[in-house]
Amino acid sequence: MQKVIERILNLLAYLLTAERPVTADEIRNTVAGYDRDNDSAFHRTFERDKDLLRRLGIPIEREATDGFEVEFGYVVHDDRYALEDPGLTDEERTALALAVQAVGFGGRPSGQEALMKLGGVVGSLEGTQLGADLGERADTVAEAFLAVSERRMLTFAYRGSSRTIRPYGIVHRRGHWYLVGSVADDDGVRVYRLDRAADLELGHRKGAFKPPIGLDPASEVLHHPWDAGDGADVATVLFDEEVAWIAERELGSRAAITRREDGSIEAEMEIAAPEAFLGWLVGFEDQAELIAPPEMRRRFVSYVEAG
Amino acid sequence: MTNSPKTTGRINRLLAMLPWVIGNPGVSVDEVCDRFGYARLDLIKDLNTVFVCGLPGYGPGDLMDASIDDDEIVIEMADYFARPLRLTAPQALGVLASGKAVQSAGSGGDALDRAIMKLERTILPAGAEAVVVDIPEPRLVGELRTAAIEGAVMEIDHTSIASGEARVRDIEPWAVFTALGNWYVSALCRSADAERVFRIDRIRSATPTGSRFTPNPTPHEATIRYMPGDDDVHVTIRLMGDARWVAEYYPVDVIDDESDSMTIRMSVGDAAVAARLMIRLGKNAEIVDGSEAAIATTDLRSRILERYS
Repeated sequence: MQKVIERILNLLAYLLTAERPVTADEIRNTVAGYDRDNDSAFHRTFERDKDLLRRLGIPIEREATDGFEVEFGYVVHDDRYALEDPGLTDEERTALALAVQAVGFGGRPSGQEALMKLGGVVGSLEGTQLGADLGERADTVAEAFLAVSERRMLTFAYRGSSRTIRPYGIVHRRGHWYLVGSVADDDGVRVYRLDRAADLELGHRKGAFKPPIGLDPASEVLHHPWDAGDGADVATVLFDEEVAWIAERELGSRAAITRREDGSIEAEMEIAAPEAFLGWLVGFEDQAELIAPPEMRRRFVSYVEAG
Repeated sequence: MTNSPKTTGRINRLLAMLPWVIGNPGVSVDEVCDRFGYARLDLIKDLNTVFVCGLPGYGPGDLMDASIDDDEIVIEMADYFARPLRLTAPQALGVLASGKAVQSAGSGGDALDRAIMKLERTILPAGAEAVVVDIPEPRLVGELRTAAIEGAVMEIDHTSIASGEARVRDIEPWAVFTALGNWYVSALCRSADAERVFRIDRIRSATPTGSRFTPNPTPHEATIRYMPGDDDVHVTIRLMGDARWVAEYYPVDVIDDESDSMTIRMSVGDAAVAARLMIRLGKNAEIVDGSEAAIATTDLRSRILERYS
């Protein structure tokens, strides 16, 4: 391991000071630690080192050494290498470290290495465990994050077909990561579940699009399944005392609640997709009653009869 | 062969430590150890590595200079390593999403708010609203978390999701966690004398009983998983049309998958779960096998219709 670390430091020092693309041969003959006699041994080692640099976040790129594009070499562009200093104070670093400690991705903390790059953390971390987990698919989410932050087109497999979209944002809600984007300029904004997306591929060009003005990705991702649709009914439901508190919690601030003396509540809410709403209502069994509008009440009855 | 994560981790730390020391010449060994999580000997090992590396030629004028003098560290001739490395996408997402999760749950503070704002400015050119983490903390999460830390036995009024039955129990809360959009508390249920996981949004009230327990110093595994039980109800269902989502959503065994229908077998903790599902699916599903679930479905249907008659 010691030899690898020395070689990587030498390679990186060379690349950062070369100020031009350097060929593999130049690297082999200049940087300490490479095998100069055995071709295949050199190439194996050099490939591994490039991988390692990329995993560390070092943007090593292959470019032509001159305008004739005959010979290619490797270069690390200064502006893409360095972190733009966010100017964190030690107090702010500690706050981030506590957050990283509290939140996992698929059971593992994520962000420890980032904290090092941001200047480490002073003192011991004493904080309550939030115990939040943001899901198993950290790699997929990270790819989508990169596409969003650099405004690159994103192609992925979804429900059996391939999509290419302009990714505007990622939103974690109700336990899932959602990707918000649109297929073409004039097309509407769509929402995809990231755990159902596979084979993500980023377009090469950064800044490939501009998000629609005033778009708020979070508001595109539904709070309730019945928020999606073009219906515009207002439903009133009576929830018995035993389940009123559950209904209140699930509806949140998006329903107007009137409390009755016996502890039951009347909730009034907008319904865009009645089908999804009626399904949710079944969960309350006979402890809830859809009062209005009458057509929706009739629809609920025939829905239950049909089952 | 690939390089081990250990090597990557060591170089990551080294490339983070270098700019810090270069930018703060004379920083103490203790501070660097604390800040970057070094054991003293490991730091010295890394400084010795720095000392033998540098630019081609690799003579005295080409190598970096690292020294400890009177417990102060100085690194020179290493200007090319003076700036910290940019974050990779997983690293940036990890730190930003973790921060936003804590912020959204209301457990952060001013320092976290400021840190997130500064990070967004530098690593999220697309704008702050492009990454949103929404995990609001329901009531009682704070109380149960405190009880878990302090070892306070709690009396909870909990309504089972499966049976809809409300029961009052005494629990020893072990850990509070969130997964798949819901908050849970894992606990020893004193009433059942067994380990249980309760969904916090189904706990109506929680009050300390005044009794204490000794919290386990090693953290409990905070996961939810379906645990088969002797009382499980088994049901075989034929799904048609739109009802196929059930096979994706629930843990089921697919018995038969044809173009116009799909047959699945599932186990549920209570027949009521199957009954609610059947009513929701309407015409698009029928029970092929499982009399307990079928009876529960008929019963639930007549109870609901009774209310609307």
